[in-house]
Amino acid sequence: MELIVSGVKKNYDGALTVTQLLAVEKVATPEYVTVSINEELVDQAAFETHLLADGDQVEFLYFMGGGRG
Amino acid sequence: MPNKTLPPPDSTVDITEVVCPVTFVKVKVALDDLEPGQILSVRLNDGEPVENVPRSLKDEGHRVLKLSANGDGTYNLLVEKGQE
Amino acid sequence: MSFTDEQLERYSRNIILKEVGGKGQKKLLNGRVLIIGAGGLGAPAAMYLAAAGVGHLGLADADRVDLSNLQRQIIHTTSDVGLPKVESARLTIKALNPDVTVQTLEGLVTAENVSSLIKDYDFIIDGTDNFPAKFLINDACVIEGKPFSHAGIIRFQGQLITYIPHQGPCYRCLFPAPPPPDAVPTCRQAGVIGAMAGVIGSLQAMEAVKYLCGIGKPLTGSLLTYDALSMEFRKIKVTKRATCPVCGDNPTIVQPIDYEAPSCDLKP
Repeated sequence: MELIVSGVKKNYDGALTVTQLLAVEKVATPEYVTVSINEELVDQAAFETHLLADGDQVEFLYFMGGGRG
Repeated sequence: MPNKTLPPPDSTVDITEVVCPVTFVKVKVALDDLEPGQILSVRLNDGEPVENVPRSLKDEGHRVLKLSANGDGTYNLLVEKGQE
Repeated sequence: MSFTDEQLERYSRNIILKEVGGKGQKKLLNGRVLIIGAGGLGAPAAMYLAAAGVGHLGLADADRVDLSNLQRQIIHTTSDVGLPKVESARLTIKALNPDVTVQTLEGLVTAENVSSLIKDYDFIIDGTDNFPAKFLINDACVIEGKPFSHAGIIRFQGQLITYIPHQGPCYRCLFPAPPPPDAVPTCRQAGVIGAMAGVIGSLQAMEAVKYLCGIGKPLTGSLLTYDALSMEFRKIKVTKRATCPVCGDNPTIVQPIDYEAPSCDLKP
């Protein structure tokens, strides 16, 4: 299966849920990451069950807190 | 340019006391107060202002109607304000 | 209002732009921007807005200038160490451009004061460093119908997005709730290069200038991310979440909320 993850085309073996992709991509603190698939934001509750489809465009959005201090 | 009588200008601005880019800035601000089709008369110096100001005005969609020498090293430029 | 000769000279590079002109400069001079956080992001944002001639700037910050701030907070200098940040910033702004009126709040922005604070401004810049403040600013701006620029920076990365009422998602669409205290590092704990604050804070100022002049396309509906090490900018399209608790179809947050700040953010 081919996915476009953070703008980069990559191949993955077999079917993957969002949770599994987060693990494969070694995303730090996955419980605080927002995921968008094909420009739609996915509810956190659906990460375990949402199966990615061939060609999906996946983006990870991270909390970024700095600025003032 | 045909030598016909132009209507009197609706406003005037003198940019002989300032240098680039304030020259063009003063003209632009003077045009802001006019409606499209109204005419501004600009008094400007020979050299860089005469070379650049009419060209910049054309680039912004205004119509240069007439440029005439005053005989004292300054020029008079008549410009019609273009559509916004 | 007509320009003085000094203003024509000071703002000549703005006015000469076809998209700005004298009309745009007047909009800037009549514009009101509130900068919450006079630190890494707020410093360049405030300086560029002051330099551009944004006539009314509001500054809110509870901290005093610390030596460790100067690596990135370019609105403060060594002799300002110990001064309230808003006062130090106000002095820099007045020295840079006396046309600018500065209003300061030396204190925390809270659920109690945020709505009255933002009410008088056209555009708000979130230059804060912690999630409780970022969510508070987002919620208040959505509820009050105020446009704002959200940004965050850490290490060699930065990101920003603009919210304009009824256009695109808000910050809470992207992140429904703040992370628990200390679950995600802030730049105090993780470090940041000063120029990162300069890049992102300047982009926030650019968004405010565009909004005030009514030119270009705001950064709504996309999160712009910047990775300095790979030198990559990416625009990630994001859409409004119908279930968003503040801007969604059935909002459950109808007034600003204070979250507890992480313990290490309470002390300077």
